[in-house]
Amino acid sequence: MNLFFHIGRYFLLLKRVFGRPEKSRIYLKQLFKEVDNLGVNSVWIVVIISIFIGGIMTIQFAYSMSNPIYPKTLVGLGTRDTLILEFSSTMLALIMAGKIGSNITSEIGTMRVTEQIDSLEIMGINSAGFLILPKIVAVVFIFPFLFIISVFFGLIGGLVTGPVVGVISVTDYLKGIQFLFYPYYVTFSIIKSLFFGFIVASIPAYFGYHVQGGALEVGKASTNAVVNTNIFILLFDLILTRLLLT
Amino acid sequence: MIEIKNLYKSFEGQTVLKDISFRFQQGITNLIIGRSGSGKTVLVKSILGLLEIDEGEIWYDEKNFVKISQKERKALRREIGMVFQGGALFDSLSVEANVGFPLEMFTNLTAREKEKRIDFCLDHVNIEKTAYKLFPSEISGGMKKRVAIARAIALNPKYLFCDEPNSGLDPETATIIDRLIQDLTKEFQMTTIINTHDMNSVLEIGESVMFISKGEVWWEGTNKEILKTNNEKLNDFIFANKIYDQMRKDL
Ligand SMILES: Nc1ncnc2c1ncn2[C@@H]1O[C@H](COP(=O)(O)OP(=O)(O)O)[C@@H](O)[C@H]1O
Ligand SMILES: [Mg+2]
Repeated sequence: MNLFFHIGRYFLLLKRVFGRPEKSRIYLKQLFKEVDNLGVNSVWIVVIISIFIGGIMTIQFAYSMSNPIYPKTLVGLGTRDTLILEFSSTMLALIMAGKIGSNITSEIGTMRVTEQIDSLEIMGINSAGFLILPKIVAVVFIFPFLFIISVFFGLIGGLVTGPVVGVISVTDYLKGIQFLFYPYYVTFSIIKSLFFGFIVASIPAYFGYHVQGGALEVGKASTNAVVNTNIFILLFDLILTRLLLT
Repeated sequence: MIEIKNLYKSFEGQTVLKDISFRFQQGITNLIIGRSGSGKTVLVKSILGLLEIDEGEIWYDEKNFVKISQKERKALRREIGMVFQGGALFDSLSVEANVGFPLEMFTNLTAREKEKRIDFCLDHVNIEKTAYKLFPSEISGGMKKRVAIARAIALNPKYLFCDEPNSGLDPETATIIDRLIQDLTKEFQMTTIINTHDMNSVLEIGESVMFISKGEVWWEGTNKEILKTNNEKLNDFIFANKIYDQMRKDL
């Protein structure tokens, strides 16, 4: 019952988000600001996390395949495919839900409780469109790039860590990450990341837009938003994997 | 002039506004007074269409707000300025950009013309040039209110709404803000509606006063008449503060 109420209200909000903009030029300005604020500012954390995870995965694959019956190339292959199929798309989206999502909820929620949203409405501005559309477009736009950056630095992480720790040689690793490469995996994950981008921007925006109360409620809404965003990311991961990868 | 007729508003069966009728006149400060929780904010938000009313009519001069189309409503909103309780300035914009925002959004003024209009508005509320680049988090409560007023008058509105414009301010600053709103109302001949529970404001700028309690109108008149009234509910509200009781005795 409650869930249906929220889903209904979520789609009503989306309808307003995609209403006709008052002045496209200003929306465009907002969009650039959001790409910078939500996207560019997330690059560092993506790079750092991906390097570590790539390195750790390489070590773990190397250990679990230390039996000589496994060809050494499997280590690089395993690292690469795990990054592409799951980590750099889904896991990264979960992490970004925590960073970008909570940022969006608290920003919009604060604007709600301090009457800044009412203020926009009074001026005759479609507040939902003005505040949320640039965020959704920005996040959907940057997510594929974050995915590519993450895969790249994850592979670098493995390349550096594996040989340094001494579990695999540079040549074996490099051979592995080129072995049995299906470009479709990348296409698949980019499609996923577009969906996840939409979820990571729109669900937290919904939670922020409908906050009632004060600062405390904004905090609670942020937490709720992140939890729900994560659930929907996983749900869509399951659906898309079933649909696109059979 | 704004006129409301037989206005009703409830939330999930709980009636907040009951059969309210009133005429807010142009060129004077119209006050809505009452205790916290009496329904002042709900009334103002209903008049503005931020809340949908259950029943009644709302007239902005010759336009019936309840009947006109969404498009006409939007057009009408360009003629409305609003000062919210906390100022509601946009956190991400500087003082100057806050005032410039409605101009940016709704006019095709050149950069120079915009600048001139921003100067004009901020000058009217006594904000100095040195504060133009500051952000809302960097200025005092009184200044926020003044910037909010400047933003509200940026598009030269016919109607001005203020929700508790001096709440959270010290008495001296509160009086300055009250006078400022009154002066602007006269200068630009706006229809101004102010929500307040502050008796100082009532006596200072209450050219037309409407007293509501539990969502009903109990008294209407002017600040000249208010101390002499026999209305029991209103007296309970006014004379909660002993100073005013003394003033009544002195009269
Ligand atoms: N969105 C809402 N939903 C339900 N009840 C509300 C809502 N907004 C206000 N109320 C109720 O309406 C009454 C009047 O509130 P309000 O107009 O804010 O009072 P005030 O005179 O202090 O401005 C209060 O009892 C409040 O609880
Ligand atoms: Mg109020």
